[in-house]
Amino acid sequence: MRRVARSDAPIVVALDRLVLLLMLLALAAVLTAAMVMQVVFGEIPCPLCLLQRVAMLGCCFGLIHQLHAEESERGTGIAMVFAVVLLVISVRQTLLDIVPRPGHEYVGSAVLGLHMPVWSVVIAVALLLGFALRFALFGAPRDVAPAPGTVVRRCARGLEIYVLLVAGLNLVAVVLQCGLGDCPTTGYRLL
Amino acid sequence: MMVAIFAILLIAFVLSFAGLRALGVICLLASLALCLGLFLWEIYSPDYGFRLPWIQV
Repeated sequence: MRRVARSDAPIVVALDRLVLLLMLLALAAVLTAAMVMQVVFGEIPCPLCLLQRVAMLGCCFGLIHQLHAEESERGTGIAMVFAVVLLVISVRQTLLDIVPRPGHEYVGSAVLGLHMPVWSVVIAVALLLGFALRFALFGAPRDVAPAPGTVVRRCARGLEIYVLLVAGLNLVAVVLQCGLGDCPTTGYRLL
Repeated sequence: MMVAIFAILLIAFVLSFAGLRALGVICLLASLALCLGLFLWEIYSPDYGFRLPWIQV
């Protein structure tokens, strides 16, 4: 029996893509804010903070992959794996510094009363909740005949370029901070 | 190690942007493996192992 490609209503597909796009936009904003805090306010990230950035960039990769996909949910799977990685790293860092003692204070300044690793926990849970709601509301709709050149696709391409630039900027910052060794939190190794 | 993770991640993005999505995913998985390895190395303590003895409930 021949397998027939499934196509959902265009409005469902459009809403699904919009949700993915908003999640990607939110992550790009968080990564931008992190870079601003580092460059403008001089808050040098710790190694676990950098690994959380890797997890967020991995989520972005999955979301971009999904925005370009037609018949696969692989991108969502990739993004969910990195969301879980983000949750594990941020929970561990939160627990590491949860009891104030010498040498173990939360790094960086608090935003709305929460420090960066706690915000990472919130972001990871929000991402996983977002994916769960997406599946619950839209049921992972399939777009059999995607229309290239639509607003959502152009926005996705633009955000893809932006995230690529953010990833490149992060690499430059990591090279300056860590060189080829450990990452100090007191200054830049190569400056 | 951190530089390698970010470099491979950037390569994954570039490959994906260039349309080589399968190769991009492979690079991403390599970056993930290195990331998890470094995470375990960072949180391991010679005194406590992976335990968190300061948390008493």
